[in-house]
Amino acid sequence: MSEHKLYIRKRNERFTNRTVTRIWQEEPLPENPYLARKCRCHGYDILELAKKRSFVDVLFLLFQGELPDQNQSELFETLMIALINPGPRHPATRASMNAAVGKSNPAHILPVGLAVLSGAYLGGEEVSATMRFLRKNCRKDAADFADELLSLSRPDKGDWHIAPGFGSRFGGIDPIPQQLAELLGGFPAAGEAVKWGQEFVAAISPQGMSWLDTGLTAAVFCDLGFHPRSGAGLFQILHAPGILAHGLELANKPVTAMPFLDEDHYVIAEQARKK
Amino acid sequence: MSLQNKPVKNDTAFWDRRRGFIHTKKGGWVINEAIYNQGCSMMDDLVGKVSFFQVLFLNVIGHLPERRMTDWLEAYYICLSWPDPRIWCNQVGSLGGSMRASPLAAVGAGILASDSTMYGPGTTKAATEFITTALIKKKNGMSAEDIVTDKQRNPSSPPKIAGYMRPIASGDERIPAMERVTNNLGFKIGDHLSLAYEIEEVLIEKFNERMNIGGYRCAFLLDQGLTPIEIYRLLSPVVHAGVLACYTETSDSPPESFFPLHCGDIDYQGKAPRSVPVK
Repeated sequence: MSEHKLYIRKRNERFTNRTVTRIWQEEPLPENPYLARKCRCHGYDILELAKKRSFVDVLFLLFQGELPDQNQSELFETLMIALINPGPRHPATRASMNAAVGKSNPAHILPVGLAVLSGAYLGGEEVSATMRFLRKNCRKDAADFADELLSLSRPDKGDWHIAPGFGSRFGGIDPIPQQLAELLGGFPAAGEAVKWGQEFVAAISPQGMSWLDTGLTAAVFCDLGFHPRSGAGLFQILHAPGILAHGLELANKPVTAMPFLDEDHYVIAEQARKK
Repeated sequence: MSLQNKPVKNDTAFWDRRRGFIHTKKGGWVINEAIYNQGCSMMDDLVGKVSFFQVLFLNVIGHLPERRMTDWLEAYYICLSWPDPRIWCNQVGSLGGSMRASPLAAVGAGILASDSTMYGPGTTKAATEFITTALIKKKNGMSAEDIVTDKQRNPSSPPKIAGYMRPIASGDERIPAMERVTNNLGFKIGDHLSLAYEIEEVLIEKFNERMNIGGYRCAFLLDQGLTPIEIYRLLSPVVHAGVLACYTETSDSPPESFFPLHCGDIDYQGKAPRSVPVK
């Protein structure tokens, strides 16, 4: 340990007195500055947006600072619909269903599912990682790069994500992201990232790998101009409705409405039992 | 490309073996027999006989540690249990109380906030990576001074090293407190911690900067044979009590009375008011 006497010295960093935002402006009510009489999102009155624009347009505006054009709006909304429900077998949905059938506070069902959806494997972190991967590599020849990655050794067990957002699912090619890629690839706003991803997929498909939904989502986010940092959270937003709906479906059901494995199917290794 | 990498398409045997079953090496409830936990019967062998932190350690690491190890761990948890709502994760708890979130929601959110690269358990990966790599360099003949120099972007600026320096202040009052605990419990200083101190000496001499509690805990726990991921897991709820203190205070106060803001307390620097274009 150090012989130097310990002094705790304040750094005197200059912390701001007021948090800065470029997103949201609240105009105070003259008689009560805690209340806002008008709210603007990137300069647009929120009530005027509510009257004139769609939810998806305002969501895009919130993150990007400008309203989307017609093509961007169509691509984003189509992706949002396609991702609205990861389905009842998805680990994030199952987490919300487990919470709900276990009679958790219904207000916690969504955050429980979204916390699981944050993960680095098929979750939000993988979307952000894929966006960084696409930004870094989409100037390379997709087929050559795929060959380079295919020469790496694959895991002994389970699936292989040859790159973030690309790989196998339960030993096969997940057909839904492929069908969605074909659909979205035809939209005018689908750009370089989706196109490069399709070329990459063509090269890895013979090896039983393809788009994962994280990869396709990331490619669309890139083409729409979102920053990789926003990818994880946006992915959570897009999947949130289904995660919540499946949870709520079980919230008023008896606890017997989901499996609770019996002793024949819950297998405790001998070493875990009392020695 | 190599054929050895070619998978068998739609070979689902790996998942088929697991479908409909949960296999565990951790343990579980055998009704009317026992609740097993990695070789122990929880009600017979653990309750009333070992500390909660020993069970935490057992659940994460897989074996019951000696008591002094978890006494050390419990002391470390106290070091990160400040009831100060200016600390970022704690303020999450305060805001949860102010909104009448449940204590579990607020504590869960505060713990999640502490998964940070700036402070708390989220710093573990970078701090353990640094000190384990540095120890390899030292064993290969590199001096502590050269290890520090390696991390400098330019000769005049202090290096950014995970486990050293801290936000708000320099120096860390938690380290002498934990050194006392370490010493009282009879732990020896191992290779990682010894090098961590050498590096601290260089930083004090050259930049008047010191080790932080994250650097200390990582070096110490690596010396105890834990892996970086084990350290991260063991510390995952480490801010729990501090968040809960802050939550409790605001939850017991009128709603929205914690640190309220005028509209003008937010500095809007975005676009000027504009009309929404017709689509």
